[in-house]
Amino acid sequence: MPTIKLDGREIPFEKGDTIIRAAWRQGLEIPHYCWHPGLSVAANCRMCLVEIERPGGRQMMLDVLNWDAEKGDYVPSKKPKLEPACQVECLENMNVKSESSAFVSDARKHVQEYLLLNHPVDCPICDQAGECKLQDYWLQSQRAPKRMHDEIVHKPKGVSFGPTIVYDAERCIVCTRCVRFMDEIAKDPVLDKRERGNLGEIVLSPGRQLEGKYTMMVDHVCPVGALTTKDFRFKSRVWFLRKVETVCPGCATGCNAWLDYDPRTGEVPRLRPRDNQAVNQFWMCDDGILTHKRVQSGRVVTATVGRGKDRKAVTPSAALKAAAELLKGAKSVGAVLSAQRSTEDNFTLAHIAKTFLGVGELHLASLGTWDGDAILRDADQNPNTRGATLAAGGAVHPIGELTEPVVGGQVGVVVALGGPVDLDDVTAGALGRAKLIVFSDAETALTKMADVVLPIASWAEQDGSFVNRQGTEQKFVAGPKPIGDALPGWDALVRLAKQAGHPLDWKRIKDVRKAMGGAAARPSTQPTAPEAPPAE
Amino acid sequence: MTFLTVLAALLKIVLIVGVAFNLAAVLTWAERRQSAMMQDRFGPNRASFSLFGKEFRLAGLVHLPADGLKLIFKEDFVPQNGDKLLHALAPMLSLFAPLVLMAVVPFGDVLCMDQLKNGHLWDAVERFGTCTGAAGPKSLPAIPMQIFESNNGILYVFALSGLGIVGATLAGWSSDNKFSILGGLRAASQLVSYEVAMGVSLVGAMMVYGTLRIDEMARWQGEHVWGIFVQPLGFLLFWAASLAESKRTPFDMPEGESEIVAGHLVEYSGMKFGMFYFGEYLEIVVSSALLVSLYLGSYNLPFLHRDGITIAFGDAIWHKTLPHLLVVVVQVGTFFGKLALMCWFQLFFRWTLPRFRYDQVMRFGWRMLLPATLVNLFLTGVVVLAIDRAGEAFADRLGLVADGVNLLLGALMVFAVVRLVIGFAMPTNRAPRPGANDAPQTA
Amino acid sequence: MPLPLEGPVQYDRVKGTKISKPGRNAVQQAYVKDIADGLAITMHHFFKNTKEMIRGTRPDAVNDPMEDGVTTLEYPFQKRPYPERFRGVHRLTHRADGSPRCVACLCCSTACPAQCIYIEAGEYPEGDKKRGYEKYPVKFVIDELRCIFCGFCVEACPCDAIRMDTGMHPQPYDSRDQFVFGKSLLMSFVSADGEQQSENPRREPGEKGFAGITRLGQHH
Repeated sequence: MPTIKLDGREIPFEKGDTIIRAAWRQGLEIPHYCWHPGLSVAANCRMCLVEIERPGGRQMMLDVLNWDAEKGDYVPSKKPKLEPACQVECLENMNVKSESSAFVSDARKHVQEYLLLNHPVDCPICDQAGECKLQDYWLQSQRAPKRMHDEIVHKPKGVSFGPTIVYDAERCIVCTRCVRFMDEIAKDPVLDKRERGNLGEIVLSPGRQLEGKYTMMVDHVCPVGALTTKDFRFKSRVWFLRKVETVCPGCATGCNAWLDYDPRTGEVPRLRPRDNQAVNQFWMCDDGILTHKRVQSGRVVTATVGRGKDRKAVTPSAALKAAAELLKGAKSVGAVLSAQRSTEDNFTLAHIAKTFLGVGELHLASLGTWDGDAILRDADQNPNTRGATLAAGGAVHPIGELTEPVVGGQVGVVVALGGPVDLDDVTAGALGRAKLIVFSDAETALTKMADVVLPIASWAEQDGSFVNRQGTEQKFVAGPKPIGDALPGWDALVRLAKQAGHPLDWKRIKDVRKAMGGAAARPSTQPTAPEAPPAE
Repeated sequence: MTFLTVLAALLKIVLIVGVAFNLAAVLTWAERRQSAMMQDRFGPNRASFSLFGKEFRLAGLVHLPADGLKLIFKEDFVPQNGDKLLHALAPMLSLFAPLVLMAVVPFGDVLCMDQLKNGHLWDAVERFGTCTGAAGPKSLPAIPMQIFESNNGILYVFALSGLGIVGATLAGWSSDNKFSILGGLRAASQLVSYEVAMGVSLVGAMMVYGTLRIDEMARWQGEHVWGIFVQPLGFLLFWAASLAESKRTPFDMPEGESEIVAGHLVEYSGMKFGMFYFGEYLEIVVSSALLVSLYLGSYNLPFLHRDGITIAFGDAIWHKTLPHLLVVVVQVGTFFGKLALMCWFQLFFRWTLPRFRYDQVMRFGWRMLLPATLVNLFLTGVVVLAIDRAGEAFADRLGLVADGVNLLLGALMVFAVVRLVIGFAMPTNRAPRPGANDAPQTA
Repeated sequence: MPLPLEGPVQYDRVKGTKISKPGRNAVQQAYVKDIADGLAITMHHFFKNTKEMIRGTRPDAVNDPMEDGVTTLEYPFQKRPYPERFRGVHRLTHRADGSPRCVACLCCSTACPAQCIYIEAGEYPEGDKKRGYEKYPVKFVIDELRCIFCGFCVEACPCDAIRMDTGMHPQPYDSRDQFVFGKSLLMSFVSADGEQQSENPRREPGEKGFAGITRLGQHH
């Protein structure tokens, strides 16, 4: 593989790579604003200027005057012409100086000062503060107050770009990442840039709004606080948040994401896209980002026993006892897996049903289809249809097929795992005749008519894995503590089995995965090794 | 025994009980306020009452009724296994004993009713007269300023002051509490020990005065010289013993926070505790009254006699007759003034002297005080005998010395009053504090 | 000094004055003179203090507490002057129009080591000239029981919006939730000088007389 030298380090590159991309592949960062590995090159921020010595070629030098303190006069001297690392393609044996060049540090300092010249520096009230590139590079390269004492250029602030995004032109450095994202990824060129220099700003196409399925991504591509989502605006400060790796439960694509939660309150104020070239590259859709709302709203918090008016809140152990009583008195039991729950939860239920309860046919509860597209969104709204099917160890039947045995009286008790689920009236009416034990994180049609409801953790609050449409098993990690009396799904099911007197001693998620065998032995999350940007 | 004497006796009882009770009550305030002044602080000053929209605090005197009300309305607690009868009897006894002692204390010379009846209100009586008037059937008796004219006044004092021991001991016994019984025992042993020294220390005074009657003793001091000058050692010994009898701080063995809590008072609350507390202050009043009567000239001022002022040094230098009623009033005022001053002075001991240990108290009582009183007794006997044998001429010379002492005493009293007034008028002289003239810290 | 491993430890000889034992003759043992000395001291204090109390010339307890005499401070009615930088109960400063200066940046709750500050940020309504420039606290709650009065919140505040210059102690209340001070209560407190605003001036967004170029002034 051909290599270049970056600050004395040998770096391999592929043909066509720019210097910044070659460095990025190695996990090295050359400071930049406008360059994004998933977007085309604009080269307008000038932050990534580096000193380049081409093999065999002459280095381009400029004549400058430098102040000599000894002589007390300016003396003529030479200075290399710096070039943007995002624009220059790698050549074999090219010698690039980034951190090691005093000219480059000097250039960065001045570019940084220039970018901050008209910036309002309202970090205290800016949602980006704490993860802002301007802050990072100021600390890294500038570390000096600005020398301009004039009033800054005032531009529109707090402009609503649509239902999801607010724009602040004063904070904007006009890097056009958002413009390029809407153009290249979302295929909806609704944003553009107008004016030049210190008057430049991002504007909407006349008569349009920033709307569609991929609007919130512009907040995440924005390197500064110019674009903020209405969803997260003023909700929290980023330094209060902890992040864990998670997988979006919005559809079968299984986009990788960071789950940001507040450890003090357990709230999950946002989801951020996590790079995975094999699955979602760098992106997520609006609905996927907004799945963080499922952690807080519409949750089952306490265990309940009884239907309708007789329903009352009990402790989880009392509910487990009641459920075990139902199971003991049942002639025949039905089991409903959930395409919304993790593979481990589904496997545990399938294992218990087949081993201890004598269930022959497993059924699957899931949400219906929605409007998928060719970018990221899959038509299947369920993140784990494949995982649940794999966990069942064979074919699963849709929940609708449970109608007949229940109405016919062959099945008296149904144990169901319930995330969000779509039920038609017929199925709902039929299931209402059976005794229903539901383990659910969300209030659904199933929990409403259940005899025993046990709260379980949402995907954000427990370890687990989803198998996406490509068949990739992706693990996710527990973030905040489960709210209310909720337990991890598999844990609640194991406790039910124990309560009913069945020998099952899985204590940790490890035990479940061990029992799952081959499926769990595979490496889960794909490495975030960068690959070529998507073809345009 | 006429109607007049009965009325006079009743009036005297009312006067003495009123003065003793009120003085004891004021002492409870005085002790707190006075100790505060000695220790550079305010003392009680929070209790107040409102009248016509103004708040009155009366320098903390309002605490007196407040404390009294509190004690009355507090729960009267009797231990379950305690002796209820004795528990109630003990505070009564400890209040009763000092109160009846006041009966034999004279607070003035006789009041010659005959003199008043005959309309000679502004005339003087004879200095050495019997004051019985014409002694006819219509004559009125002379009324002594003393409730109980006892032939053996001092013995009466000894007899009844022993009763206080019973109160403390009963309190300790009836409380059914180990701390109480220990406190009661300590009180009993301490009081019994000092009773002996107190008795013997007075014998010297009896020998000098030649009588057991306290009114006679007072009269002797008026004619000659105050007892403190003829019995200086006896005065100190009696004072020490009576301090121990009052169970107050240098000798407060029956109580002790770190040892036996409040001793025999542990199980007392409410007004029963209040009676013990009050009895303690009554004892101060009584011991002060005895000290004044026996050693500090009782109701006498230097040169003031029944007929008026006679300044003399051997022969009379200056004489002025005064009306009888005026003399009696001055005498009664003098006695109560001395009594108050002595009480005030006694309070100082508690706040000045450190406390004894129990074994030190016992050792002091038996091995120091009692031998010292015996020595005093012996010396007094020798001196009295020697003076009796010395003859008339020596007695005259002694009279001259007594007059000199009286002159000095009078001068001293005038000086003390003048010094007090001047001292009050002078502003306090404060040394400048280092840094006092620096600029204030808050700008 | 390192201790020698063998032999006796050598200490420096203690130097001092020798005090003779008190004599034990009868006069000394009677303690008459000592008692008189003690009484003289207590009586001196008694007469001096009584005189000063009656004449009203006792030293000023507030400003001369170390002076001889009765210098008891009658606390709730008299108070020692606090140092100028005494940290009392917090207050939220006002702008000229009476709205809070706070912009809900949460710097104070970030700096707070006791985590006693809870803020919920909100956006100014449409049409407010501060909209877009600033946010404001919908809720601003300080748990004064948790607070350790370190003053970090005051140091952290970029807008001089929270101050501890009220000169007030945290006052006693009946229940714990009464110590949880809300926004309106914190805004009702005044500084020791009775000010609701702060001495540091502030320019409001869009104020007239603002120096510098604006978009409207440009030809384009």
